[in-house]
Amino acid sequence: MRVSPLPQFASDSVPQPRDVTRGRLARKLLPGGTEPDPRFTLANERTFLAWIRTSLAFLAGGIAIEAFANEIFLGPIREGLSTLMLLLGMSISAGAAVRWLSVERSMRDKAPLPLPLIVPVLGLGGALAAATIVFLILQN
Amino acid sequence: MSTHSDPGLQPERTVMAWGRTLLALVTVSTIYLRWLPAHGLPVLALISTAATAATCISATQNKRYRRGSQGVYAEQIRADVRGIFALSAAVLLLGAFSMIARLTF
Repeated sequence: MRVSPLPQFASDSVPQPRDVTRGRLARKLLPGGTEPDPRFTLANERTFLAWIRTSLAFLAGGIAIEAFANEIFLGPIREGLSTLMLLLGMSISAGAAVRWLSVERSMRDKAPLPLPLIVPVLGLGGALAAATIVFLILQN
Repeated sequence: MSTHSDPGLQPERTVMAWGRTLLALVTVSTIYLRWLPAHGLPVLALISTAATAATCISATQNKRYRRGSQGVYAEQIRADVRGIFALSAAVLLLGAFSMIARLTF
């Protein structure tokens, strides 16, 4: 028995007149759907930027901790903390871009917004770093 | 320049959000200065990466506001895919360079 193929929606691959004003990258990464309210797109952008600033704060922490005196933080622990914070900063930065794309797509498809997975990751990672620092300070 | 009618001032707030990110990048490049006396010239690569990203944001602020304002007015806006991914890549690069720098110190 021959099964008929799924209907192809024109907006999926063929550039519509409105699409022509969008960049090629936008058309490739944000295919189909309808243009969301521009204010939602701007709000999504601002959320992304807030995450990037958080990511930069972690980078700054990872750099600055190297400058702390040896009395409080021993060498290998300092290195470990520094690496942890830099990695966390990088993860948040990558995650923020993925989140932005995911939310933008959901808005175009009028689907429910995705879960903010950065939140538990950041919460756990940040708590871990903070607990380590507190432990080290109390130890001395 | 078309005036938008958004009472929530979204274009303004978005431009300011980019401005705050610019300041965060400048702060990070300043913190790299802490490494300069101990590790010398290679640190300049890190400082200039952060400073370049900040400069790019600064140079595009006016265009960003115009696009946001026109977008709200026309009820359709182009998502700034390139800007978003460029910034994310820049921060990833900064993190990676920082880790490499620390390992070679």
